[in-house]
Amino acid sequence: MSLFYVSEETIGEGTDVVVVGGDLDFEAAPEFKKCIDHRLDEGARRVILDLAAVGFIDSTAIGVVVGAINRLRESGGSLAVVSDEPNVRRIFDVVGLDDLTPLHSSRDDAISALAGAV
Amino acid sequence: MRSQRSPARSKALGAETPADAAFAPLDLRLPARASELRAARRHAHDAAAACGFDVDDQYEFMYAANEAVTNAIKHGRPDSDGTIGLRIAVDGDQLVLSVSDRGRFAAPRRAPDPMSEGGRGFAFMTELMDHVEVVSERGSTVVRLGKRLPVAGAPGDAHG
Repeated sequence: MSLFYVSEETIGEGTDVVVVGGDLDFEAAPEFKKCIDHRLDEGARRVILDLAAVGFIDSTAIGVVVGAINRLRESGGSLAVVSDEPNVRRIFDVVGLDDLTPLHSSRDDAISALAGAV
Repeated sequence: MRSQRSPARSKALGAETPADAAFAPLDLRLPARASELRAARRHAHDAAAACGFDVDDQYEFMYAANEAVTNAIKHGRPDSDGTIGLRIAVDGDQLVLSVSDRGRFAAPRRAPDPMSEGGRGFAFMTELMDHVEVVSERGSTVVRLGKRLPVAGAPGDAHG
């Protein structure tokens, strides 16, 4: 269990990365949502959500991820999630989120997947 | 000092279970604020570890606990002093976590829409726990989440 942080970067060719670390809970969710919405408002079409340093993601933060998937589907964009953390992968599996968005074990995997997707 | 309403405590005659011995009931009042969730998760995780759950079950217990406390903070009503109740105790063959507040909560009747941004909290509780019960009456709601205690000596019954 560790402190939440979030940051954004652009890695070229219209791909944006939102990097999150720590515990993604109801306290952290508003900041998390603000960061993703900011990227989408700026017109991001390919978004990588890098959760490699996240050990905990609750239902409210999962709602934020689903919100981003919905917005990107409307704009013809796509989202890839990075996590190699077994607990996070299991939680995604429990609610079928892994069916909505692919989970990649590394950022490089996500970048190649998105390059082929749009 | 152990659970006083314990009809399921059939093992209480004679031998204590290892979990009984390892974990004394915990009764807390938490300020109904999102910043308290970290503490709630730690309490739940520590309790599950003390009762000998394996690391996956510790995580599941902590995860469901976080959802129940989040629910109470988000949708419930705190007591006049701004707090909600959190109790963790061994009851029969389960470790039970109860979250109480002054609101009225009705468990959703259907599974959440996969594309919906909300409504997954209760689904997690039912998926990760063995017993989920919502008692809402006379201006208060108690959500009880139970997970079966590990069987002593079974594989995975480690202290990690």
